[in-house]
Amino acid sequence: MSTTEAVHLPLPRLPEGWAAEDKDFKAVGCLSAATRRNVEPVGPHFLAHARRKRHRRTFSEDERI
Amino acid sequence: MSDQAAAVASDATERCAIGISFGNSNSSIAFTSPDGKPEVIANEDGDRHIPSIISYVDGDEYHGTQAKSQIVRHPTDTVAYFRDFLGKEFKSIDPTPCHQSAHPQQHESTISFTVQEGTEGEKSTLTVSEVTTRHLRRLKNSASEYVGKEVNAAVITVPTNFTDAQRSALMEAAKGAGIEVLQFIHEPVAAVVAYDARPEAVVTDKLVVVADLGGTRSDVTVIASRGGMYTILATAHDYELGGAQLDQVLIDHFAKEFIKKHKIDPREEARSLAKLKLEAEATKKALSIGTNASLSIESLANGIDFTSNVNRLRYELLSSKVFGSFTDLIKQAVQKAELDLLDIDEIILCGGTSHTPKIARLVQSLFPETTNVLAPATSPTAIHPSDVAVRGAAIQASLIEEFEMADIEQSTHPMVTVTAHLAKAIGVQLISSDESNCIFKPLLNTETALPARRSAQYPAPKDGGDVLIRICEGTREIKVKKVEPKPKAEDEDDDEDDDDDEEDEEEEVREIAWNVSKPIAEFAIRDVKPQGKIEVMVSVNEHLAVQVTAREIGGKGGVRGAVEPPQVVENGA
Repeated sequence: MSTTEAVHLPLPRLPEGWAAEDKDFKAVGCLSAATRRNVEPVGPHFLAHARRKRHRRTFSEDERI
Repeated sequence: MSDQAAAVASDATERCAIGISFGNSNSSIAFTSPDGKPEVIANEDGDRHIPSIISYVDGDEYHGTQAKSQIVRHPTDTVAYFRDFLGKEFKSIDPTPCHQSAHPQQHESTISFTVQEGTEGEKSTLTVSEVTTRHLRRLKNSASEYVGKEVNAAVITVPTNFTDAQRSALMEAAKGAGIEVLQFIHEPVAAVVAYDARPEAVVTDKLVVVADLGGTRSDVTVIASRGGMYTILATAHDYELGGAQLDQVLIDHFAKEFIKKHKIDPREEARSLAKLKLEAEATKKALSIGTNASLSIESLANGIDFTSNVNRLRYELLSSKVFGSFTDLIKQAVQKAELDLLDIDEIILCGGTSHTPKIARLVQSLFPETTNVLAPATSPTAIHPSDVAVRGAAIQASLIEEFEMADIEQSTHPMVTVTAHLAKAIGVQLISSDESNCIFKPLLNTETALPARRSAQYPAPKDGGDVLIRICEGTREIKVKKVEPKPKAEDEDDDEDDDDDEEDEEEEVREIAWNVSKPIAEFAIRDVKPQGKIEVMVSVNEHLAVQVTAREIGGKGGVRGAVEPPQVVENGA
């Protein structure tokens, strides 16, 4: 899904002295563990998901085809 | 199964698939026209909601509404309410709904009904799967006549708690009727698909409650809909709650009136009761449309005719207790999903009982105003509640009609359907207008199936400059505020800063607030133009690795970064 949502609240200003070694990007944490759940095998978006998963494609690979 | 199914597919050069909703009380069939619009098919009697009833009179088979009217005169040769008996053992069923028609009985390992099928001779014993086959064959014939070619495949909706044994029994029964079951889909999910497949629908992330209020049972399901993928979070069932209880309210009401006049209770005699039940149901339906409805039965009991009236207000008063049970069931399901009523974005009311205007209004008052209640009484764009599930089935049927059976089986395999879901929301930290408060705005919500990708545009500060983008995890909290005095926070599950515990039972406003729980990544976009906008795209793969891209719209370059997946993956793949 690459629908773009528009948000109306502004982003914060960069604080003084903020720096990152690698191209202005800094990874500071990682995600919490995911839960495993069953997706319902119904609808066009699921079929697209199943197609990607069975052919081991990523989103962008799938779009190119 | 597979070779037989293949035989069906190869015999008929082309597959013609429909959607079938097969219920205890009613069944429906729908077909998706070549332009992609699902249409619910009316049978020969002109019914779109075909009673799941079969009756035998003088060697003729009656089906649907015609069979239903035979309950009065030929109760023992009429089979009704048999769907839930499929694939079950006799000792595990509840035969109550069949009290007025042919009784279910034990037959080897399954359940059967004994009816006088021919004009004379011995009675025949029909197993529940034979009855189902005959019922499905009638449905299939009606559909074939409408479509203009032989229907040979279907997607059938089933309740969420249908067991594998029930599924395979239904699969067998359908095969007997010449229908290849492409897929069984869950009734509530079919309902969501029916709404999402409308051309004007926008696919958004939302939490949907599907309340399926049927004739003899009611099911409520909480579904997370994320980017068009549906995950069931919780279900609640009530096998005694449904339209039949509302019929009973009217039966009792009219019976009392009859007793007052004639000192005879029409509920004591089976035939009078059957007549009363049939008419009470019609009166109930009339009360969903008009504010007044009449009931008249010729020779109700002891040859006495009966005519009476009831208005909607009176009916709503009498059945307020039953209405309350419906809303309780909905609350129970939301609680089971560990959610709050405030979290729910949409409620889909389906099943015949959802036509009742009062139920829709009670449900609406249960949820905040922002929640969309999709029922005829509360939303002008609502789909007919009895059609919702079957439309979803028809849409799914048209989507997979061309697929090989093996493809469908592979796609529905747990290897594909079981996926990692985000436990916490991922979003971007923003500031409110006074620049001091941090606000979290979720971009990927909880329970989003992975892999997933979302993007959003955020405005930069008014005068531009260097901007910090901070991707965080967030948790949702319900804040309870008193209306007038200072805001007070009441913690639900998380540690929060301001906490003055005065227990006041004043008018409270409950609202959702997001708290930043854990930062994931930070990055800077330099020299953003005044009034500029920044687009952020976050993509999370199955192993929880995150990729972030951000760029100024109209600007050059942009920043890209990746966050490693967590080291110890206990729950993940």
